Amino acid sequence: MIQAIGRRSISAVEAVGRVGHFVMDMVRALADIGVWARLTIVQMRRIGVDSLPVALFIAAFTGVVLALQASYTFTGAVPLYFVGTLVGKTMMLELGPVLAGLALAGRVGASMAAELGTMKVTEQVDALETLAYDPQSYLVIPRVLAGTLMFPVVVAFAIATGIITGWLTSLVLLDLSTQDFIKGLKLFYVFKDVWFGLLKSASFGFTITLVGCIVGLGTRGGAEGVGRSATRAVVYSAILILVLDAFWAVVLL
Amino acid sequence: MKRENEFAVGLVVIAALALVVGGALWLSGAHLGKTEAVYTARFRTVGGLGAGSPVVLRGVRVGRIEAIRLAPGNWVEADIKIYSGVTPPAKPAVIAASASLFGEWAATLISSEPPPVDPNIRQALEEAAAVGGGKWPGATLPDIGQLTAQASRIATDIGTVAARVQSAFDSQAVMDLRRSIHDFGQVADRLARVTNEQADIIGDVGSNLQHGSEALSRAAVDLRTTLGRVDTATNQGQLATILNNTAATSTDLRSASQDFRQLMAAANKNQESLVRVLQNADTILSRVSNRSGTLGLLVADSALYRETTLTMIQLRQLLSDIQANPRKYFTFSVF
Repeated sequence: MIQAIGRRSISAVEAVGRVGHFVMDMVRALADIGVWARLTIVQMRRIGVDSLPVALFIAAFTGVVLALQASYTFTGAVPLYFVGTLVGKTMMLELGPVLAGLALAGRVGASMAAELGTMKVTEQVDALETLAYDPQSYLVIPRVLAGTLMFPVVVAFAIATGIITGWLTSLVLLDLSTQDFIKGLKLFYVFKDVWFGLLKSASFGFTITLVGCIVGLGTRGGAEGVGRSATRAVVYSAILILVLDAFWAVVLL
Repeated sequence: MKRENEFAVGLVVIAALALVVGGALWLSGAHLGKTEAVYTARFRTVGGLGAGSPVVLRGVRVGRIEAIRLAPGNWVEADIKIYSGVTPPAKPAVIAASASLFGEWAATLISSEPPPVDPNIRQALEEAAAVGGGKWPGATLPDIGQLTAQASRIATDIGTVAARVQSAFDSQAVMDLRRSIHDFGQVADRLARVTNEQADIIGDVGSNLQHGSEALSRAAVDLRTTLGRVDTATNQGQLATILNNTAATSTDLRSASQDFRQLMAAANKNQESLVRVLQNADTILSRVSNRSGTLGLLVADSALYRETTLTMIQLRQLLSDIQANPRKYFTFSVF
């Protein structure tokens, strides 16, 4: 038992060391701007623009549910215009970044781990190295950079979509006027709400793409290993998103 | 393909930027392109006021709190951004207060002329204005939470008092109280009756007093008449005569009194003689009773009694005859 604990401890420390080593290699590869700059746009398109429908779909229904649940909670005791406050605050601070992050962890993280894992097990990564391409600058940096930059963009749209659907729900289903919804939306608004959500989503994007790259490039064992890497990437990303969410809440709120 | 990616990414990024910037500005209530005046207000504390809180003038939103910072001298300074076209009141002051029960705070612009009625607000504004520096004086009303906490304490106290009252007023106390109230009602009835009776009596007394007063008035008139007569008599010397007669009468009374006193002295002396006579008479009677002496023998002898009785009868007949025929026995002549 002691041996098992020792093995797991050593393995955990080694994993941290590998991540550190990986990040150091990535930072070192930032110098190859000519390599990763042109590839970053492509990844921004794939990670950001192509992820918009999923993120907006989730955000739209989140806004509807938030408005209805808020009105259900506030009935009789709290003025209904607080529906606007709750929808706005919750979408900006929490549900917009976290739900979009979890959705993109499944979509982006899994695909990234599977793609890089496949490249790894089919020795395409080795081929790149043979051709004098640094896998970090060619594969990792564009993805991590695109994820870090585009996640806030996606989350910004998700927040706006959630608020809009919340407003429409209030207007149609709750008999709440536009003026009252906006009054509640503006009531406790501070600019920190916006940049807090965007900063958090940027950290989520960085984490998801980094985990996808690390897990993908660490794939072993053929197709089964690729599948395992995809699953592991989603699980790790989801856990880290929640951990980071709590971290930012403790640090910034 | 590459240009298509760049266009899509660029479009999304620009749209996101516009969304974030525009949304943030709209939510914060910023008025772009309009000149906004910024003033600074000085508070001891700003309560729940924060950056972005609305600034209202007579209930209309006219600006927002731009920034809040600590200032020297234990002051807090708040930058107030007023929308263009809004003229602040003369001698402006700012009151930070809770705008609703749900934690919303707002800064209300007022004129410090005339000063607010609330003495605490007035004092806070005067204190802030005394520092000077061109900053608007500010005061803060208590938070609704403080008010509700105070109300909660009051409610707790009332509850405690109510509980004590409830424990004090058990069923026995309620019965006693009910009985006391009943007794009190009876007492009140009696008091009302007594009061009515006394009112009647007082009415009678008042009536009697009125009659008495009238009698007194008449007596006063009579007295005045009498005094007038006395005065007239005094003028004619009758009173002096009366007084002189009275003095003479008094003298006569005094001498009569002396005579009476002498008479009494003589009576005292006669009394002593009378006592002696009585003693002698007693001695004689004793001897009579003992049938000693002539008289005793007379009393004891029945023949003598009969003779005496017969003599008395004859004497009474003689007296009757004398009364009937006085001339037979008495002869009366002057010379």
